Amino acid sequence: MPAHDVVLLPTALKLYPPVVSLDCRSQAFGPLNFPFHLNFGSRNKKVSRLNAGFWESIRSGILKNNTAQVIEPPSIVEEEEEPLPEEFVLVETTKPDGTVEQIIFSSGGNVDVYDLQALCDKVGWPRRPLSKLAAALRNSYIVATLHSTVKSAGEEGNGQKKLIGMARATSDHAFNATIWDVLVDPSYQGQGLGKALIEKLIRALLQRDIGNISLFADSQVVEFYRNLGFEPDPEGIKGMFWYPKY
Amino acid sequence: MAVATAAHGGYLPSKFHTSLPSPPKIAAQIKPKPTPRPLSPPPISISTNPAHVNLIHLRELYAVCNHSCHRFPTVDAAGIVEPVDELKLRTAVSHSSVVVSAFTKPEFLTAQSFTSAELTNFIGIGGDWIRKVAPVTPENGRLIGFGRAVSDLGLTASIYDVMVHPALQGRGIGRMIVERIIRMLTSRDIYDIAALCTENERLFFRACGFGDDILGSTTMMYTRSAASYSKNGQMVSAGRKLLLVPHPRELTK
Repeated sequence: MPAHDVVLLPTALKLYPPVVSLDCRSQAFGPLNFPFHLNFGSRNKKVSRLNAGFWESIRSGILKNNTAQVIEPPSIVEEEEEPLPEEFVLVETTKPDGTVEQIIFSSGGNVDVYDLQALCDKVGWPRRPLSKLAAALRNSYIVATLHSTVKSAGEEGNGQKKLIGMARATSDHAFNATIWDVLVDPSYQGQGLGKALIEKLIRALLQRDIGNISLFADSQVVEFYRNLGFEPDPEGIKGMFWYPKY
Repeated sequence: MAVATAAHGGYLPSKFHTSLPSPPKIAAQIKPKPTPRPLSPPPISISTNPAHVNLIHLRELYAVCNHSCHRFPTVDAAGIVEPVDELKLRTAVSHSSVVVSAFTKPEFLTAQSFTSAELTNFIGIGGDWIRKVAPVTPENGRLIGFGRAVSDLGLTASIYDVMVHPALQGRGIGRMIVERIIRMLTSRDIYDIAALCTENERLFFRACGFGDDILGSTTMMYTRSAASYSKNGQMVSAGRKLLLVPHPRELTK
């Protein structure tokens, strides 16, 4: 009796991992920083995964010319330049009573979420969940902050540090960037601090060759951004937002 | 006939056919339609696994769809945009929170003139039967659609570069890609999803459920160049725009 298809079975039954899967935890993309911490738990997934694997094994066992294209694993991305954390004194003021106030710009992104929440309250923004704020800050490409430190005359070391401004940008690190959440403490507004924040952000982005810098401006700040070089709806490009229809 | 239908549309979970219910398909097989109706998509395999993104095929897809990553691309005399920079594309894809690729079998790319009814008629029992009924996978399929989104994984997300091969446009594939991106984002509790689109793309996104901002915000992009600004400064090119880098100025008081 000829050993017909039995020969093919050992290889056919090799159930290798399914290829079409909704699960992005597969670490084939290991060295690159993929922010996939969260699970996509779904009951239906398991069943379809099993079927896909089964089909794959049968198909590859029976097909003679297995024209599976070779998907080359992404090679390790060369050392990409992370935004170099800059920190410097933007303004230094000596008050009549001798205290020195410094406004320090920083793009290192070390923001206390509680401070940020307090600042958002001061400018009158609606409250957002702290965990979401923290996640957003962590995963933003650049987070630029302004802190104010007040030192009395002759005092050594840093005085009290207060968050007075922030701006952040998300990006794909290559082509597109969107600026979100630009805010300056109301008592420090009107001094050009917001302008400095945005200009530094733009400078940092352009130096990394990221050319599509966009943002969504409320009506009262459109002029502010226009003065900084932003154009509304350039060449008909508009932003649209998703509205869930239940 | 039932077997053919099952094989033709069977691999794709029924969820993806919310906009294309099966009764019209079966009806089309029973009697040929005299008037042309919008084609349903061929068997599509959609993958959100970044490992399935073949950069070479992706670059080709960008070229075929004449899509540029730059918002203001340099367009040559024939209307073709410049090819995408390979290294930058790799960086961009690797830093996109959501990456969706759509694959189909190579034969559907050429046989676009057939309706789905006629295609299923070709499936008979024969040597080629297994190949025809075997489902599409990222390994055996051709990349025909793509979409990606950048997100801070907390509050907001932006969708970029949604494209479908011109031969297969208008069949609901682009919509599938966008809906998958949205699903990936909403499952992570991100509902603030934006998409920058040109005039042509506006209708498409509207059909996907996008609209103008409910808060009435204005979309703005940085377009300052030397021509509009007298100061000589460092310039960075982005497509056909030459953007002026703001001079590092010190605020002194």
